Parts: sequence; structure tokens; C-alpha cells
Amino acid sequence: MSKPTNSVTGSVAIPPGLARPLGIGGGVLAILGALLPWVTFLLNDGAYPDKATLQFFDAPYAVSGFRLHVLLLGVVAIVAHFIPVPLRRVLRALGWGLIGVAAVNIVFPLVDGGGFGAITSDGTNFAFGGIVSLIAGIALVLAAKTGPLEPVPQWKTSVPTLVAYAVLVVSFVALLLVVAMMLNAGGQGGVGNPYAGPIFLSLLAFLAGVLGALHGIGLTGWISGLSDKHKWFSVIVLVLVALALPFTEAGTDYWMTTAANIGVYAATAIGLNIVVGLAGLLDLGYVAFLGIGAFVAANFSGAAAAAFDIELPFVVAAIIAAVVAGIFGAVVGSPTLRVRGDYLAIVTLAFGEIFKKAAQNNIGGLTGGANAIPNVPPINWFGASFDESLTIGSLELPSGVLYYVLIIVLVALVMVVFANLKNSRIGRAWIAIREDEDAARAMGIKTGQAKILAFLIGATLAGLAGAVFAHKTSTVAYDSFQFIESVTLLAAVILGGMGSIPGAVLGAALLLVLPEKLREFSDYRLMLFGLALVLIMRFRPQGLVPDRHRRAELADEGADGVPIEELNVHDTPGDEKAVTR
Amino acid sequence: MATLLQQLINGLVLGGLIALIALGYTMVYGIIQLINFAHGEVFMVGGFASLATYSYVLPESWRDHGHWPIALPLMALGGAVVAVVLAVAMERLAYRPLRNAPRLAPLITALGVSVILKEAVRLWYPGATAPVPFPRAFVDEQFRFQLGEGTVTIGATAILMIVVSILGAIILQTYITRSRMGRAMRATAQDPDTARLMGVNPNRTIVLTFTIGGALAGLAGVLYGIHITNVDTEVGFLYGIFAFTAAVLGGVGSIKGAVIGGFAIGLIKTLSGQYLPGGTQYDLVWIFVLLIVVLVFRPQGLFGEPERVRA
Amino acid sequence: MTALLEVQNLSVAYGAIEAVRDVSFAVGEGQIVSLIGSNGAGKTTTLRTISGLLRPKSGSILLEGKPITELAAHTILERGVAHCPEGRRLFGRMTVEENLHLGAYVRKDSGVAADMQRVYDLFPVLGQRRTQKAGLFSGGEQQMLAIGRAMMSRPRLLMLDEPSMGLSPIMTQRIFDTIKDLQAQGTTILLVEQNALAALALSDRGYVVDLGRTTLEGPGHDLLADERVRAAYLGED
Repeated sequence: MSKPTNSVTGSVAIPPGLARPLGIGGGVLAILGALLPWVTFLLNDGAYPDKATLQFFDAPYAVSGFRLHVLLLGVVAIVAHFIPVPLRRVLRALGWGLIGVAAVNIVFPLVDGGGFGAITSDGTNFAFGGIVSLIAGIALVLAAKTGPLEPVPQWKTSVPTLVAYAVLVVSFVALLLVVAMMLNAGGQGGVGNPYAGPIFLSLLAFLAGVLGALHGIGLTGWISGLSDKHKWFSVIVLVLVALALPFTEAGTDYWMTTAANIGVYAATAIGLNIVVGLAGLLDLGYVAFLGIGAFVAANFSGAAAAAFDIELPFVVAAIIAAVVAGIFGAVVGSPTLRVRGDYLAIVTLAFGEIFKKAAQNNIGGLTGGANAIPNVPPINWFGASFDESLTIGSLELPSGVLYYVLIIVLVALVMVVFANLKNSRIGRAWIAIREDEDAARAMGIKTGQAKILAFLIGATLAGLAGAVFAHKTSTVAYDSFQFIESVTLLAAVILGGMGSIPGAVLGAALLLVLPEKLREFSDYRLMLFGLALVLIMRFRPQGLVPDRHRRAELADEGADGVPIEELNVHDTPGDEKAVTR
Repeated sequence: MATLLQQLINGLVLGGLIALIALGYTMVYGIIQLINFAHGEVFMVGGFASLATYSYVLPESWRDHGHWPIALPLMALGGAVVAVVLAVAMERLAYRPLRNAPRLAPLITALGVSVILKEAVRLWYPGATAPVPFPRAFVDEQFRFQLGEGTVTIGATAILMIVVSILGAIILQTYITRSRMGRAMRATAQDPDTARLMGVNPNRTIVLTFTIGGALAGLAGVLYGIHITNVDTEVGFLYGIFAFTAAVLGGVGSIKGAVIGGFAIGLIKTLSGQYLPGGTQYDLVWIFVLLIVVLVFRPQGLFGEPERVRA
Repeated sequence: MTALLEVQNLSVAYGAIEAVRDVSFAVGEGQIVSLIGSNGAGKTTTLRTISGLLRPKSGSILLEGKPITELAAHTILERGVAHCPEGRRLFGRMTVEENLHLGAYVRKDSGVAADMQRVYDLFPVLGQRRTQKAGLFSGGEQQMLAIGRAMMSRPRLLMLDEPSMGLSPIMTQRIFDTIKDLQAQGTTILLVEQNALAALALSDRGYVVDLGRTTLEGPGHDLLADERVRAAYLGED
């Protein structure tokens, strides 16, 4: 929301004089909160993360885990007051990070340990750490509200090439370590490891706070500017760094498999992002293209249940899968010539359902119907079967690593395709169509062609991902390609940011990693997706990693102007606060 | 012959149900140009709410066959009230804040709301992970006719469904064309800004639209429950799509269109299931194919007006 | 004397684009006041802001000295300000009668039928075709209906946006005669016109709006005589 709106809606205005007391006080409180105990008793499933439970009593001042994070956030908040940084921006980010960490570590003992006594006092023991940290976070956020947010400083990107390279390498390696740390945080969720969820979420909140602060001082913007300047170098380093993940602490069978799944989804999500994010066409049956690709690849895989008794090399099968999916994409997209906007979404939904029904009924003997196509063999190149572990010299890499590598390459390829399309003639045509189709047509853009092309390319990418999917999961069944999967992919795109490449990858990663970490919430997975869609559209329509072009147009800092012409009017003359957007 | 007649009756019953839901779609789209994906789920929730009224609100002694003249209206009331509250809350909390956002935003929100509602019922209504049975003892009279070799059956619930849907549509049509608020609704649908210049409060009009749509969907929910004798979290999506197709076929924004579209879809579903190759496995597919064909070749539907051009 | 309507330092923006900048003017009770200026000068935006369709960025709008700036459109209408929009904006799929009924939407008194008859007396063609859809009417007839519809709320201040747009000279003359009649019956009129000559001729007061600002003001006949006005808007050198 832009600043004038805030003043109109009368959001909390804190007197500027309180900025320093609130900011420094919040920092001190956070440090205090980190040192206080957080839970009054040992929880049933063992000590709460990193022995926070009674640590104050048996190991006072030994601060680790999320308490270390709280401490760090507090210290940084205090330090920030004495160095030249955009203070309110930094405090806002740190504050929200603190609130997140505190909230996660308050809610879990409350739910798991039962009752409010767990986080306050049970008579003999007291544990106000969580509440104090929460207050600290709120104080920091309030301190940030004492005035308008400062502009994000722009660091100079004209630095010597070597310096730029060094910065990029360091940043990407840091990114790799953070990703590995996140995957590993709390281990894999499940019965034996009930705290995987809270540890992971808490870390996520901490990292979000830190990242926000780094963004506030202009560092992330600088790095992203550098990587824009040295695009190819960045891509290469990024791919190399991604390929290094198996060598980190996250290099287990389990995470390799998960990461490969993320890759498949990410590639599909990027494809969907072309249709939805760039061209602005809502596709609700998109998963059908993944399905078509998977079924095509399965039928050429030599599986016993395949319709064709031939085993094509994976690359050939994948290309056929992509082409077939692309053709279907063009067919599905063809109504766009006549159908507009919302109705198109329904056409794609109908197509998705037709595909599912056809696959369910084993149409043409191609899908196996309810029996699916089982036992699709793993990809096998040069004698290396992709589902086995790999030994290079003395180094043994986990099974699934080859799929991981393949998918990294695939995702990189898809990203390059996307980036090039986006900055091409056709990409600009898509964006023009998204913004205003009539104006685009008036400017001489062949909107019909462009829209069909968007569907075609999006479907091709999904088909390619589907081919990998078929071999990776080994069973291709119609019920992997239901409406709800399309919604999940859409959620990934929207969460990450429409039109944004890193956004789609991040969205897919979050939507797949979170359920792995939060097994005890697996029942709530879909509900959370639904909630995410609603909340993002309401509060952050540009997504987590906004596309730069969209960032400008979709409510962000710096964009000025009062929203006007709202249908949304006062119910009563006195109800003035509730208005204006 | 008997089979055909039976399928025609079944089609009309299904059509009546679809028409009731389609009315909500068509009215909401008419007034704010939003495909309210979640409307099908409102119907589903209405079914569960009426069942909950029966299971948890009505006194035990009213739950037998003899008490249905009291119990059924109360169940309908329960279903409709919950559906209305839900529909209005949805508008207020999810759609209204997005009224000036890009068009994709409310559509995606509607999708999210639909997922939330379905999941909420599945997770929190006791036993809703599988179809939940409706009381069987209810209005279960069956009327049978001998026709040639075969028998044609029509249940009391089936008659109720057809009667209620047609009656509901007639009342609605009268209200929309004759009443002051009805005029305000049509004015807002045609030109919201100018309607405001006439002193129409668009929010009130829109809330009224959601209220009517919710009430009809809730009613459809209870009728579905007593006719099919169970209710299931899956039906919201399915019938939502049927109803949407009906609304599109009839012409979005048109009440007459939604009703005729509803009956048409009902008949297509039962007749294609009976007579077309693939049977009931492909009845859905025919409906979707029809939907696509209508959207491509006559997007304004049978009775709709060409889409309004906004100034 | 406080003016019936007073607009003070009004600024309105569409996003980053400021369509109206610091516009001020006043409309006295019983007067006809016109805003003239070229296309895109911000006249329509000003009217839409007065009637509550748009929210100003800054400035205030006073009706009888009381601010109406933050009120909703329907409340402003209830206070007696009716707006007959540019391009007439009739409900084309509704009948003449229904359009007039909508004009009287906020009224709860029993005089609606009598007022409707008054409109039919003023514009007999509407009375003859009261059950026909408004979309079928000619431009002039539509303008009559639009004015009639705006009158149905019994406004104290009637704002007319380009009532002569697209009309033949004869029809334009009739519309302007009607405006004069309405004034004689006690309605205050705020007129926005590109047809500056006709508008100023019947106005008590005129304001020239240019690029979002009021640049000139004065009694209607003075402005008509002003060289700058003649040069800019009446096509004379």
C-alpha cells in the first residue's frame, strides 16, 4: 500500500519521538527474550528444540537454535541505530522476523504442550521468553512506523568485473548453504521427529527477517543488479552451485528425491508462469499437460503396460512428449481467439477435466485407466540407472542424485527459455496483452497468435517435465493430474510472484518442502494452499519475489498516488475509516 | 420408452438442482463480473448445514418420518441461513477488497475460497471424509407408473426439486423486474457508476445478490441431500461446474437462461449417460465439450446480452 | 451569502496522473454556472469528484458550507446533488419508466408519480414511449431522458456534463431552453460544456478550466466578451 493511502485509512501513527526508545528497547527486549526460558516443562516428545525448555535452569545463558536467532536479531536491531542505514526499513524487517520466530515457538508449545501455562508460568517455573520476544518484535515494527519508509539505497553496480564475479560467487554459495541449512533444519518431518515443522518455520522467519533487512540496506538489490549485468556468469554459477547441493548436509536420498520433485514442479510452474504470469491467461487445467507428457513418455518407455512395445531413448521420448503436449496446448489455447478472460479459465478447467476423465477410462488403451502405467523403468544413460546411488572415486553420492542433476539442468534450461522469451518481441507482446488486450491489438499485436503461442510453449515445458516425472515416479496414474494439482501449481506461481522466474522456483520449493516438514499438518495442506491464494491476492499480489516489471505496477514502495474511483463506498457516512480500497 | 421417460424425469430433477445453483452464478457474474468459483462449495456447505440442523439441532423426537413437515422446512432454513452467511462473508472479506484489482485477482481468490471451504468441511464436519448419509426416512414416497413393458418411478423428492426450482426462478424473476431493489440490481449490473449516481449503494446491492445466490444454493443443498440421501464434499466442485456451464449456456446474467440452461444440462447428462457411447463414464465430458463449444461460438449464451463494455 | 456549492483547491489524480489541479469555484443558489474548457481539461473529473464517484487527492467540496468530500455517492445524491453524466449513460436495457424510477431511487415520498408526469409533460416524446427500452432512442431523446432522470431526484443542484454532445443544433437549443426553464423553476445548475458560446450565453457565471486548473472566471457575458476566451474556445483570432 502506498503511503497516502495509509494516512487516509488512518493506520497507526506513532510519534517520531518514540522511534529510538521503541527501536533500542525492542532490541534489548529481544536479547532478554533470548536469554529467558521459553517453555515451563519438558514436552511429551522430549525437550523442545535445542533444549530451550529448561535450559535456563540447567545451562543458563547457553543460547543456540532459535534463541540464537532471536539474540542476533536483537543485537542487529540495536547496532542498526548507530550505523548509517535506512533504519525504519531494517527495523521493520527485523521486527517481523522476530514476531515470526516468537510466534512459531509460542504456538507449538501451546498446542503441543497444552495450555497457556506452557509459555508463561506453571507456579514454580516461569517462561516468558516467547512473550518478551514477541513484544520486542512488535516494538521494532512500531518503531518502523514512526515515519515513512526510507527509499532503498541504490548501490553502484559499476564495479570491476572481478569484484562482481567474486560477489556473485560468494552470494550464490551463501544461498546454497542457506538452502542446505533450511532443508536440514529439524530434519525430515514425521512421527519420530515432531519438531521438524517448528524448527523449520522458525528458521524461515529468521531468514526472512535477515533477508528483509539486507534488502532494506540495498544489498540484495545490488547483487541482483550485478547478476543482471553478468547474466551468463550468474546462470553458470547458479547451476554449479545447485549441482553442489548433494555435497552439502542436505545430500541425503530423501532430500535428493524431494529436491528432484521440486525441480519437476518448478519447471512446470515456470511453464505455467508463461501463460499466467506473462500473458495473463488463467489456466486451470495446466496439470493435464504434465500428464500428457508423462503418459507419452511412459508409453515409449518399454514398460510392460505401455501401449507401444518399443523403448525409445529418454531424450527422444521426452522430445515426443513435449511436442505432443505442445500440440494439445495449442489446441486448448485456440479458444482464446474468441473467448476472453474469465471464460478462458473455465475452458481450460473443462479441458483438464476432460483429460482426467479420458485418462481414467483408459482412452485408446494409452493411460492404463485405474490400473495406471506401473513400472516405468528409470532413465538409464551409459549404464547408469538414475535411481541408484552414484560413486565418484571415493565419494558416494545418494541415490536420486542423477535425477537431481538432470532436473537442475532441465530447470536451468527452462529458466533460460523463459528469460529469453520474456525479453523478446513475443514476451513484450504477452505483457501488453496482459495489461490491456484491446490496446495491444490496436498497437498491431496479433493477440490471437501470441496467446496460442503462450499456451503452446507453456504446455511444451510441462510435457518435458512430465517425461522426467514419468521415469522418476515409475508409476503414471491419472489421479496424479487432478484439478487440485493445477491449483497447487497456480499457488506456486502466485506465491512466488507472477511473471517472476525465481518466484516460480521459490514457490514450488516452498509448496513442496513445507508439507515435508509439517507432516503433522499434512491434512491441512490444501487448506493452507487455498488460504495462501486468498491472502496473497489480498495483501501481496506481486508475490514473494516480484517480477521487476510488475513490481512497478503492483503496489510497492515508491509508487505514489491515491487510489480512486472505488466501487467500494461507505456504508454509512460515519464509516469513513473503512474505505478507500 | 419407459427408459426414455425415466431418463427425462431424472434429467429434469438434476436440471432443477443445477438451475438453482446456476442462478447464483449468473446473478453474481451479472453484477460484479466475477466467476464465483466458490459458489458450488456454498451449495455443498448448505447440504451439510441442513444435515447438521437435523442431526444436532432438531429434537430427537422430530427426526422420524411423521415429522417431516416441520423438520424439512427447518433443515432448509438451516441450510439456507448458513449458506447466506457464508456467501455474504465471502463477499465482504474476500471479494470486496479486490474490487478494483486486476481481474485475475478476484478469480484466483475465488478459487482459493473454494478450496478452503471444501477442506474445512472435509476436515471438521464429523465423518465428512466420506459421503455422509442423509436421513432416509424423509419424504421417501415413490410414485410408479406402468408404461408398456417398463416402469417409470418418480419420487416425492424429485417432484419437490422440480417444483422448488421453477417456483424459485419465477419468484426471483418477478423480484428482479418489479421491485425497487431489483431495479437497483439490474442498474448496477448494467452500469455501476451511473447506478451510484442514481443513489444506489452498490455494496448493498452486491450483498443482496450474494444473499439471494447463497439462499438458493443452500436450498439446493438440502434438496440434493434428501433426494440423493447423502452429501459429500466432492459435490460442490462438480455441481459448481455443471451450474456454471448451465449459466454460460443460458447466457450469463440471464435468469431465464440459467433455468433453461440448468434443465438442458440435466437432460444432456442423463440422456448422454444412457444413449451415448461410453455411458455415464463420459457424460461429464459431453457437458464440458458443450461448454467449450458454447463459449467459443456463442459466448453470450442462448439468452444473454453481449458483454457490457465498461467506460 | 454562502454559495450552494463551493469547491476549494480540488486536486484529483488517476494514479500518478493529476487530472485536476487546484480547482476552485462556487455555485450560488439559483444560478447557472458553467465550466468550460477543452477536451481533457479535467471538467468531467471535477463533476465525478463532486458527485462522489472519485475521491480527491486534496481539497474540499462544500454543500451549503458543509463538507461532502468524503461522502458516498448515494449520500451526496440524498443531499440534493444530481449528476447527469457525460454520454448520458442511460440504462439501455430498461424502459423509459424504469430509468425514471431509478432517478427517483432515493426518494421515499409519494410525489414520484407526479414528478414523472412532469417529465412527460416537459418531454412528450418520453411519455409516448414510456414502455420502450431506452437503448432504442435517438441521441436527443436520450438526452431528454437523462435530464428527466436526473430531475427525478428533485435535486437542488443539477450537474449536467456535456448535455449538447452529439446533438443537432435544433436539439441543442431545446436542451439549453430546458436548462433555462429548470433554473426558472428554482434548480441550481452546474454545467460542463465544450460548446462554450451557448453555455456562457445562459450562465450567470463561468469558469475556464485548462489543463486541470481554473484559469479565468467571471460573469457569463463578461467571459463571452473576453479576448482570451474568444481566442481559445470560440475559434476567433
